[in-house]
Order: sequence, then structure tokens, then C-alpha cells
Amino acid sequence: MSKTIVVIDDSESIRELVGLTLESAGYSVEKGIDGKDALRLFDNREVNLVITDLNMPHIDGIALIREIRKMEAYSMVPILVLTTESQAAKKEEAKAAGATGWIVKPFVAEKLLAVVQKVIR
Amino acid sequence: MSTQAETLNSFLSFRLDDELFAANVGKVLEILEIPKITKVPRSPEYMRGVVNLRGNVLPVIDTRTKFGLPPTSDTVNSCILVLSIASAGKNITLGAVVDAVQEVMEIDNSAIQAVPSMGTRYKSEFIDGMVKLNDQFIMLLNLDLVFTSEEVFVLEEAAGSKN
Amino acid sequence: MTEKLLDIFLGEAQELIVEIEKAVLLLEQNQQDEHGISAIFRAMHTLKGSSGMFGFEAVSGITHHLESIYQDIRDGARAMDANVLAITLKTLDHLRNLMQDPHLGDAGVRANHEQLLTAILSLEDAHTSHHTANNTAPASANTAQQRSYYIYILPHPAILRNGTNILYLVDDLLALGEGTALPFFHQIPELAAIAPDTSYMGFEVVLATTKKEEDIQEVFMFVESDCDITIKSLADGNILSAIGKHEQIQNRDVAAALGYEGIKALAAHPKKKISKADKARSAGINNAASIRVSSERLDDLMNLVSELVTTQARLSLFSGENDSTELSNISENIEKITRRLRDNAFTMSLVPLESIVVRFQRLVSDLSKELHKDIEFTAVGMDTKIDKSIIEKLTDPLLHILRNSIDHGIENPEERKRRNKSPKGKLQLRSYYSGGNVIIEIADDGAGIDLTKVKEKAIAKGLIDGHAALSEKELTDLIFLPGFSTASVITGVSGRGVGMDVVRRNVSDIRGEIDIATRAGEGTTFIIKLPLTLSILDGLLVKIGDTDFILPLTSVAKCYEVKTAALESSFNQLIQLDEKRLPFFFLRNDFAITDHKPELSQVILVSYDGQQVGLVFDRIEGEYQAVLKPLGEFYQRQNEFSGATILGNGNVALVLDPNKLIGKLIDHYKNQQRYEYAG
Repeated sequence: MSKTIVVIDDSESIRELVGLTLESAGYSVEKGIDGKDALRLFDNREVNLVITDLNMPHIDGIALIREIRKMEAYSMVPILVLTTESQAAKKEEAKAAGATGWIVKPFVAEKLLAVVQKVIR
Repeated sequence: MSTQAETLNSFLSFRLDDELFAANVGKVLEILEIPKITKVPRSPEYMRGVVNLRGNVLPVIDTRTKFGLPPTSDTVNSCILVLSIASAGKNITLGAVVDAVQEVMEIDNSAIQAVPSMGTRYKSEFIDGMVKLNDQFIMLLNLDLVFTSEEVFVLEEAAGSKN
Repeated sequence: MTEKLLDIFLGEAQELIVEIEKAVLLLEQNQQDEHGISAIFRAMHTLKGSSGMFGFEAVSGITHHLESIYQDIRDGARAMDANVLAITLKTLDHLRNLMQDPHLGDAGVRANHEQLLTAILSLEDAHTSHHTANNTAPASANTAQQRSYYIYILPHPAILRNGTNILYLVDDLLALGEGTALPFFHQIPELAAIAPDTSYMGFEVVLATTKKEEDIQEVFMFVESDCDITIKSLADGNILSAIGKHEQIQNRDVAAALGYEGIKALAAHPKKKISKADKARSAGINNAASIRVSSERLDDLMNLVSELVTTQARLSLFSGENDSTELSNISENIEKITRRLRDNAFTMSLVPLESIVVRFQRLVSDLSKELHKDIEFTAVGMDTKIDKSIIEKLTDPLLHILRNSIDHGIENPEERKRRNKSPKGKLQLRSYYSGGNVIIEIADDGAGIDLTKVKEKAIAKGLIDGHAALSEKELTDLIFLPGFSTASVITGVSGRGVGMDVVRRNVSDIRGEIDIATRAGEGTTFIIKLPLTLSILDGLLVKIGDTDFILPLTSVAKCYEVKTAALESSFNQLIQLDEKRLPFFFLRNDFAITDHKPELSQVILVSYDGQQVGLVFDRIEGEYQAVLKPLGEFYQRQNEFSGATILGNGNVALVLDPNKLIGKLIDHYKNQQRYEYAG
């Protein structure tokens, strides 16, 4: 059974690009536009990985990570955040909130898959 | 007891029902009060169960049942003899419930009489000999054989005593 | 990249530009409007991110600098002014052009771009805050020089709570070269206090690699703040062969790390190189670092340790009943020491799997000749150690699985060529530690198991209902059912009589579990999970009347509370649980226990030959880690009890072997029925 990855980004292009890359690598992908949407997506389904942007309207990335970690079923699910180089401090904030790792934008497909490979097998 | 344990002719006598038996003290490791015994389900009647002997599991045999004597409940005098017996080249440790322990005595080889082929309810190979003490016969048991054999007593008599 | 995605990006960029424009216009009215500032920042950030991804580098470059300015404004590090807004508006116009001409092909666009960039940079420079440029990772020009490193990883206890899998880190490390990972435990608490989301394990890795230290560090990029990590160079070249077979490593105590110095010392005093043929003999060679102890003395030690464990359990029981801080401190301390001592003693009686590999190599070479297959057999991780008594009982099931893989898994060379595979089939035996378990995998790159055929066969044999909707896992599990001859189903080659059900029973006899992962056309992997030792058992403490029993946790599927009367009145020994009718055994009757009959009984479901069977007890007391003691010769025939254990209160609990018990009870009832029918 293929692993399920939830991708959260308010940018449709990034969402689709990340989604397409992951799907072509054999993952099933669920996409959401913000933290609120993400929490609705979870709804007790099996999630193997969450990839989320940090800057989002409503519930932002950091708050989303905290929410996910609060849910018992997902307290140990890997979470990768999408960051840019200018956000070194954000990485630390995200880690402190419970993120597993990060992907620095911009990235190419191979890089994305390599980072995903670091946290799920 | 440890010094006497060296002597081959020292015996520990014990009582089952109103019969007296004796075991070579070299085979007796210790005497225990009866602790809580855990019965192993689906095991033979004469296996009382297992007890905790300082962190090890000791199998305990109900000697009365094994010898075909009618069952009774334990009394304050009942105790467990912890015996070390040889079985197929190995030493195994087991417990034997007896009604009471009498005494440790020195028995001179010359006082040991042969077992009559008739008149005892036990198979002759289990009895090494008999001694007479105060008008009562004490049977000297071959512990190695007694506790490793399925049937210790003669069946006809056992059937008689049960009914 | 598809046209569709590009369209999505362009449309989105357009929207973002409009969004920024609106915000700028609002900010011109009120420069302090925080919403406006953060809206611009966010939109700028998104635009930067996505344009970078879509190859619009000019866009991402210019938005990067502008974003930095807005970030400073948002964070209060600089003030908004009309100048910034003016440049922003100019940039927006430019961005619209860039969307049509991303690579600055038009000279006018390029000139405009450079002019704007200079203007923005001067804005940035005018301010003290300066954001560092992108990291330029030094291109690691690899000299093919191998080096051995010592890497110490001690994850912080909370690491699992951010989704990190420590084993992946080790995997990634080992992927850098050749290496060996030595796990150790760190501050492992009492069983009851073990939290599943807390890490108690660390690793020491000896890695021989041509990669640079930075590459090793990169493995830990996500966990630098969650682990204590030490990376030290051990020596030039590969020292693994020197230390890998070192006795110190073989007989290592997993309760503690060896340390850099420890490993270095091993490397400095390597055992002399020995050829494979010499290996068997080398067991006799005395090494200064180890001494030989007779197995009897080892048994004595184990017995003393078990006694200590039992006494310690009494102590903690007593300390729990008596409210004394000091007593409970002492008791806890003794408990910790006892646990370490016990783990220590138990590891001494473990032997490496290597000892049985030779037999497997023989089998593979003989059998592949016989069946005209070309097979490359490899064994990895055979230094994994496991209880001697487990190894003895493991040989048969492993041989059977290997035979199965060679016979039915791996195709013959012609067939493999047809399928575009290398004519040489691969068969690998792999072993590693996983938590308190040893995992053994047998993987082939053969045809895989055809699940459609499995299903057809199972239906034909009446093992399953034709309409049953089974998952892949359920389908593969059918192979383990008694009466399912795998052979003819999977490949059409005749079978050999012994089925996989026997393999599963053998494995479960040593308290293991077996699983299959298969992919049609790609191969099959059998995964066997075993306990490290048979002397310790994770069990469920249950009671009937006054008698304590331990049921191995691995066999417990589910528990239900049911009225005792309902069970007693059931005439067909079937009970309805979760809409399934399941056979059960009212053990009170079978064990002839009559005291303290409760109103409610506990039905514990265990799996027996692939189906669930209920065993009825009075009470469930809780989980219990039992030190197994043999029942001895007198109870040889009662092998439904695999042993006994001493509880904290000094009582003896009997350890049940559910498989044997159920098997015996079924036979018993069958005989009884026959007798009843005959009478």
C-alpha cells in the first residue's frame, strides 16, 4: 500500500508541483491550502508524512504542527516544513514546535524526494 | 546436618500414614514447611504442583498418593523433603510431601534386613532394605527409583485400599 | 514540467502581484497598516518560493531582496517609508514583464531589472540589517581516500515526538560507505514506565567511507538539536575488518556504549586476520580481552540473577506497600542495577547467527544445482546474536523458507532473462536488531507470490469463502493455513509435503512471528521477528481461582469480559464476539479448578493456526515480564506449560503455551466425541 502524504501550501502552484512530484514517485497525496484545511484532511485517516508551508493564512505552519502533535494518533508522524534560506530562525521555531525536518525552497524533484526519503521509508 | 550428610549410614526417617520410611541423608537437601503450592493442571494426581524454592521452581510430589495411600489434608507436621535424586545420569531436585519427619539416625549395615518378597505392598526394587526399631519396621527407600518410576505400589493392593 | 502546472503558476503569480498592489495602495494611505505589511511579505514570500521552483530565477531573485525589506519592516527592524512603496510598485510592473520574459531576453527588460535590483539593494544596504546570501556548499571533491569514523548518536528521549525515526539515521549513515552500527540502551526505565514515544536507545557507528565529515554531518541535519552527536576520525582506511569480528564487539553489552576510546582500542589491537576456513577453529583461540566460562557456570550465574530479580520484585512490592521515600529510593536503585545485571548476564548466553550460516550455504548451492537455478546467496548481519536455544529451533524453519525461495521463488535463468532480470537470482539472509527483538529476513528477487492464484486455491480448498473480500495481507497470510500447499499454487512446481503452517508453528514455538512481503515479478521477503532470549517473556498475568498463569503477549489478540454463566451454558463451545462466532475453552473445566468462580469471566482471544480461539480466565491482572523457569522432567508431558515464573509475592505462576494447549484440548474433545458417539 502506498504511503499517504499530506501537502499543505497556500500556493496552488507549489502544492500541485509537490503533489505531482510525490505522486509520480508512487505516494498518494492529499492536498490542503492552509492549517485549517489540513486538520480537516486528517480526520483519522492514516497519514505517513505531512509537508507544510509555514506562511499561511488562518492557522499557520507552526500552529498546525503544534495542533498535529496534540493529536495522539499523529504525535509521531513525520512533518517536513517548506522554508526558504531567509528563514533560518523559522527552522528552529518549527523544530521546537515538533517538525521533523525541512525542505529549502526552491528545490528540484530529486531533492524533494531525497528529503522525503530521509524521514519515511 | 552437613557433617552427618557425609556418612553413608545416616538416615532420615519420616512417616506416611502409620508407616515409617527412611531416606539416606545424603539425598536430603533440606526440609521445608509447606508453602503455597501451584497445581499444574492436567498433570498426574500424585504431582502436587510447584513451589518457589528461593527463586527456583521445585516440583513437589504427594508421596502419599504416589505410594497409593489414602489422601488426607496437610497438618502442622506435614513438610516437604527436598531431595536430590539421580535420573538418567542427571541429578534432579524435587520435593516430597510427607506426613511428619521423625529423626536422623545411624544405622549399622548389619542391622539392615532383606525385604521379604511377600507381605509388602511396595514393589521390592524400591526398597533397599528394612530395619526394625522399637517393634516397628522402617523401610529404607531407594529414592532414585521411587520417584522416577510411574508405579511404585502393587496395583491390586492399591485398588483395594482405594475402595 | 507540464503546461498545466505552468499555467497554474502564472495565474497564481498574477493574483499575488494584484494582491501586493492592493496592499501597497492601502499602505500609501496608512503606512502603519500591519495587515498590509504582512500581506505583502507573505505574498512576496510565496512568489519568491514558487518562481524559484518554476525556473523564474529573475523573479525569485528580485522578490527575495524585497521580501527581506518587508520582513524587517514587519519585525519592526525598519520603518516603512514612501520610498519602499514606490520601489515596490515599480517592481510589480517589472514583475508583470518578467512573467512574459523570465530569462531577460529583451534588452529593455534586462536594463530595467538591473536598475531595480540596484535600487532595492541600496535600500537594503542603507539599513544595517543584511541578510546573508545563499549558502554555497563547498563542492566536495572526493579524493577516493577511505577513512574510518566513529560516530556516536544519543537521541534525546523526546526525539520520537517530532516524527524522527532513529533507524533511518543509522541507515543513511551506513549508506555513506561500509559500516557497522552498535546499538546501546540508555537509561531504560522499568517496563511499566516505558513510554512508546520516548527513545531509550543510542547508536555507535563505525563507518568506513570516502565521503567527507560534512557529508556525515548532513545526515543529522534535521536532528542536530535533538541528539548528542560525536563524529570523530578513527583512522585512515577501513578498520572494519579489524574490529568487526572482534570478540569485544561480538560479546558486547548493549547496556552501555563502547565509546570512541573503546572502539579505537579495538582497532589498535585487531585480532589477527583469519581466513574463512580458520574461522570455525578460531572459536577456540583465547583472546586477552575475553575469557572462557563453562556453560554450567553461566547457568549458575543466570539462576542467581533470576533469584535476584525475584527478590527485587518482592522488595519493590514491599516498598510500594510501605510509605517510605528512602526505602523506595533504595528499591528503585536496586531495580535499576538488577535490570542491568540481568541484561548483562543474558547477553552472555547469546551466540551469533553465523554458527548456522554454513548449513544454509550448503543447502543453497546443492539445491540450486539440483533445480538448475543460478543463485547468488548472501548473508548479512550474521553477527547478530540470539539465545542459543532459539538458534537450535530456528534452523528448520529457515531451511524450509530458503528451500521454498529457491524452488518456487527464484525463476530459472531463461525465465529471468525473459523478464529482463539478471539470469542470476539473488537470495539474501539478513539479520538485525529491532528494539528488543531480532529480525531475520529472507529475501529473493524471484517471481513473487501470485495472490490471485493464492485466492483461487484457497477457495478451491474451501479455506475461504468465494465472496470474501480479503486485503493483500490477508491473502498472503492464507499461505500459512494448514492444508494450503503453497507449491502448486505459486509456480506449478510440485510441493514437498511440509507446508508453511509448520514453519509458522515452529516460529511461534520460539515465540516469534512470521510475515511475508511480496511483489509480483519482483520477489518475496519472509520476515521473522524473534525475541532476543527465551528466558524472558513479556506476558499477561491472568488468574483462574487461586492459580496464576502467564500468557505470552505475542499471542494475545483481544480481551472480552463475558458473563461466566453464558459461557457455561454454551453447549457448542462457540461464543458470539464482535459479530463473529468463535470457539472457546472454559479453562476452569479443563484445568479442574473449582474455587472462587467469578460472575464475569475474561475471554482472551489468541490465534491458533490462523483462526481466533478464546481462552477463558477469571481475571486479568496486567502485563508482567516473566523470567522463565523450566518445570522440569516431572512435567514433561504437560508441555502446554512452557515453564513457570516466580511472581513478586513469591507465588509461582505457570506460563502457558497457547498453541500447544489449544492443540491438546482440541484432540481431547475430539477423542471424547468419538467415545461418546461410540457409546
